[in-house]
Amino acid sequence: MAEQFVCKASEFKDGERQIIRIGEAEIGVFRHEGEFFAYSNYCLHQGGPACEGLTIARVEERLREDKTSMGLYFSEKDMNFVCPWHGYEYDMRTGEHVADRRVKLRKYDVVTKGDEVYVVA
Amino acid sequence: MSSPDRAAAKPAKSPAKKPKAAATKAAATKAAATKAAATKAAATKAAATKAAPVKAAPVKRARKADAGEPSSQDKAAFLKALSKGIAPGTDAARTVARKSGKKGEAAAAAAAAPEAPKVEVLRRIPAPVKVVDTPESAHALEFAARIEKMVETGDLQTLQPHAQQALIAALCKLYAANTEAGERYPALGQRSAVSATDVMILCGALLKAVDLQVFELGMWQSWSST
Ligand code: FES
Repeated sequence: MAEQFVCKASEFKDGERQIIRIGEAEIGVFRHEGEFFAYSNYCLHQGGPACEGLTIARVEERLREDKTSMGLYFSEKDMNFVCPWHGYEYDMRTGEHVADRRVKLRKYDVVTKGDEVYVVA
Repeated sequence: MSSPDRAAAKPAKSPAKKPKAAATKAAATKAAATKAAATKAAATKAAATKAAPVKAAPVKRARKADAGEPSSQDKAAFLKALSKGIAPGTDAARTVARKSGKKGEAAAAAAAAPEAPKVEVLRRIPAPVKVVDTPESAHALEFAARIEKMVETGDLQTLQPHAQQALIAALCKLYAANTEAGERYPALGQRSAVSATDVMILCGALLKAVDLQVFELGMWQSWSST
């Protein structure tokens, strides 16, 4: 495992994604709210490009005190990304499938050194 | 005139001739050796035939030697690659340089070739379009949040029907004007949680308000591809 230079942080805007190849691995690198995340771009369902679909806030149901539903809302803090093939939805911060946390994309560490972004792969 | 020229030409020819002569000699020697070996082998074989059945060992050895050869397809692929031309700095270029025995060249080629990039950027997916805030937008957002709060708390009377109608009409006109001007965007943003039922209720009411049937909407959509 070695640190591989991806790009300058100043050229990587918030909300942007880069799909990179390191050797045999295809990796999606995200910048979300200033943080970097990197996951394998192979969907755990059928190998689709997991990191290239929509990024969408997590849908949550808000309940009143008596547990009656107030309806469905988009989360203000949790963001997911969706595989464009059949809609597997993964947590931006962990790479876990939102409906089954045991299903998890391979996560790569991202290191920033000054203005440089590296993926450990 | 000719003698110095010839004299100059001769030494040039002789080194070429010499190896040929040597080669011919070597070939003759080899042929003699082969003949001798063949005779010896025949004699041995005859002796062996008398003593024991013939063994297939020499055939086996020949097959082993064949296995080391690249297949005809590999050879064809190699020739095809050669005819295409070999890009400098590639593995093929290094292999050819090595095979042709030009070690210095191979080393030079390896040194001249740029280090293969370890990280290859396949795609850059830009961030979703940034929202530009104007004072009116901020005001509208604040008012929308207040309306949502009213619905959440069950307060359905504060905003009277005529006010709602004015809001719906104004937004309907604004959205249609933008669409006709080529500014296409979804009617509902990503973070607005409107249920399908809410949408059907309002769409039905809007159609009814302008005396339209659903099939007319369908026809208009198929004609205008909107
Ligand atoms: S391959 Fe990703 S959801 Fe099916």
